[in-house]
Amino acid sequence: MTRFIGRLGLRNQASIRMLAVFGVLGPGLVAANAGNDAGGVATYASVGAKYGYDLLWMMVLITVSLVVVQEMAARMGAVTGKGLAELIREHYGPRWSILSTVSVLLANLGICISEFVGISAAIGLAHVPAQVSVPVAAVVIWLLVVRGTYKIAQRVFIAMTIPFFAYPLAAILAHPDWSAVGKAVVVPHIQFNSPYLLLFVATAGTTITPFMQLYLQSAVVERGLGPEDIPAERAEVVSASIFANLIACFIIIATGATLYVHGERTVSSAADAARALAPLAGRFAEALFAVGLLGASLLAAAILPVTAAYVIAETFGFEKGISRRPREAPVFVAVITVLIGISAAVAMIPGVPVIKLLVLVQVVNGALLPVTLFFVWRLARNRELMGSYRNGPVFDLLAGATVAATSALSLVLLVVTLTGNA
Amino acid sequence: MATLAPSTPHVLHLSLVVGGALLDDAGERVGRVDDLIVRLEGEEYPPVSGVVATVAGRQVFVPWASIAEIAEGRVMLREERIDLQHFRRRAGEVLLRKDVLDRQLINIDGARLVRANEIELVRLDGWYRVVGVDVSFRGLVRRLLPHAFAERIAAGEFLDWASIEPFTGHVPTVRLRVPHPKLARLHPAQLADLVEAASHREGEEIIEAVRTDPELEADLFEELEDKHQLEFVEDRSDAEIAQLLGRMEVDDAADLVLQLPEERREDVVALLSPVQARRVRTLLGYDPATAGGLMSPEFVCLHAEATREEALERVQQSKVHADGVSWVFALTARGRLQGGVPLADLLRAEPGTHLVEVVRSVQRVSPDADLEEVARLMTDFDLTVVPVVDAGETLLGIVTVDDVLELVLPESWRRRFNILGGG
Repeated sequence: MTRFIGRLGLRNQASIRMLAVFGVLGPGLVAANAGNDAGGVATYASVGAKYGYDLLWMMVLITVSLVVVQEMAARMGAVTGKGLAELIREHYGPRWSILSTVSVLLANLGICISEFVGISAAIGLAHVPAQVSVPVAAVVIWLLVVRGTYKIAQRVFIAMTIPFFAYPLAAILAHPDWSAVGKAVVVPHIQFNSPYLLLFVATAGTTITPFMQLYLQSAVVERGLGPEDIPAERAEVVSASIFANLIACFIIIATGATLYVHGERTVSSAADAARALAPLAGRFAEALFAVGLLGASLLAAAILPVTAAYVIAETFGFEKGISRRPREAPVFVAVITVLIGISAAVAMIPGVPVIKLLVLVQVVNGALLPVTLFFVWRLARNRELMGSYRNGPVFDLLAGATVAATSALSLVLLVVTLTGNA
Repeated sequence: MATLAPSTPHVLHLSLVVGGALLDDAGERVGRVDDLIVRLEGEEYPPVSGVVATVAGRQVFVPWASIAEIAEGRVMLREERIDLQHFRRRAGEVLLRKDVLDRQLINIDGARLVRANEIELVRLDGWYRVVGVDVSFRGLVRRLLPHAFAERIAAGEFLDWASIEPFTGHVPTVRLRVPHPKLARLHPAQLADLVEAASHREGEEIIEAVRTDPELEADLFEELEDKHQLEFVEDRSDAEIAQLLGRMEVDDAADLVLQLPEERREDVVALLSPVQARRVRTLLGYDPATAGGLMSPEFVCLHAEATREEALERVQQSKVHADGVSWVFALTARGRLQGGVPLADLLRAEPGTHLVEVVRSVQRVSPDADLEEVARLMTDFDLTVVPVVDAGETLLGIVTVDDVLELVLPESWRRRFNILGGG
């Protein structure tokens, strides 16, 4: 007996499952890493360049909020075996569900455009024009997603974000004033002027984006994780969120210790953000930054259309996981194709008003986030749905406060952008 | 899609009934209609047995006996006064809006999961009955519009309730095992597809329903993908798993044992009958990626001098599945594999023919042969069955084409868009 047991131990499903959860590629890590995408890096770099370490204390709060929200989404996926869009449809009916689906579609389209802009900026550092890099990237992403070598691709994209580890090193080599950094983390520092507040809200918005919850919950379901996996998955989500936000903090510190100190207070291009890596990489700073930006942008550009397609399939009840060939899941493939196509096309237009677009994206996201978070919170505390896995009283209070605070911030951003104070 | 006969009466849309007014016999509004109650067991088209309504801020139960008419936008009572009982779910009661509308259902005809955009009711022999489910886009659009516009959208084609099986696992009062008799109309492979496509709880519900027929359950498990097998047996006791294994093909049973956590394997195998336990252990001794791991120890073999009639009788009496008996194997006097005869040849042969007269030499592999070798052999020689022999040419088992095809089919053909799962 020991013979077969010993030999086949590796096929033990439970151990494979643990590997999947603790491995490099938990859904939590993918979601959190995709949050450090083109828009994220641009925002963090701007924060550091413009205000130095002043906004670091906020990253602590944002991280707590992200952990709370992502944990609820992962737990719901494990307990119900259903995606967020599906639960919204079942509990709040088609009107809410379509409203959130349409806004997810718009928001994802917007973010996806920004990813392609990020891709063209990253490759642009090597002086390749967007009209070449963007179509190639679009075709590659489409093939990976629809033709299905996506699992490997995901690993490659994640690996490509490793250069972002350079930020902690760059931050250290830039010899920041650590006592000032420490103080900035602990002591809240608020300026009541609109650029400061706007950047504050934008940072929260780019770190906690609706697609991250939608993606995470669907991915947990897709992996077949059940209630017994909650402790492991929770650990994965928490550590991944903290990890991704630590990187974000180091981007702020690195830019704060270089650009801000040298009086370069605006980050207007990828090349600007890359300069923060100069203390570490010298003349290779640009290349290092380009690879990281490319990986993060590709990862998000692949995840966003897929998330949108899943949301649509869940809302309308189209075939999804069961589908075997593109022609059996035409809607699914159509959504992916249209999203990638439009995003790439817009990103390729010479002189496209990128900044205006990004602002528009923020508005849509800002409007969507309270809706998504509210549903996440209400569903995660629903006794009938979650049973003994529903939010505990203390956690629920924290979650409610998070939802309220994040929503308030999003609405502030919405109002400020719409009234043109930006 | 099925539609009722043209002469059928007016089709009521559930979404237009709920949210409407509860009226007394004089047409005075007394409350709001929240939901319709049905019992799903028994009848082909379940009748509405009551209404849940909100009257003066309280959720109340209105029994069928007090209801005069159900229509779009209103439910009318027979009397002026009704006895307002506080609403509490009773065993077996299902709320159409809360438990069925917008949820996933099984469409038996297509063996697929659909989402209920609308539930259609018709007055038939005195009862308001659930006659079907609209899964079309039109049904969804109607739900999105304000009532005044929604009423103008005519009923389109809808799925007949006779081919619909709803999930009820989420209904608190129907927690126990619910028979889903319509599921028996499906092929085990279709059932397995549904289990894989549904959420875990819904899959559990399908399997629970199928458990009333242990043979069907075993067939379903044979068709389930490895990663789903464990999901649905890990909560069972060793004895229950052993019972299930006992009904499965030995090679599939061995595969399932491999999915179990190491510490449970021996306990479960020990509970099998001695013959089954021995066979499973033999298979488990081989690397699963080789002919030894793929093979089934169930086959029909006879001495080469046996007659056609003896061979056919053995086929008739054996419980080996159809693929496995498509060839009958002949052994030499010393028990070595001499060759094989396709079952069709045997049937066509003259009565009284001895196997040795019609036997063909067959390609064979050793238990160590890898999947690629077996697959290539099958392709080159157009085989559906390949015998596995040891060094002494003793027949150990047979690999059938279904086991091989399952493994050589590219991952991407089997499952597309399974990409959210990542690595």
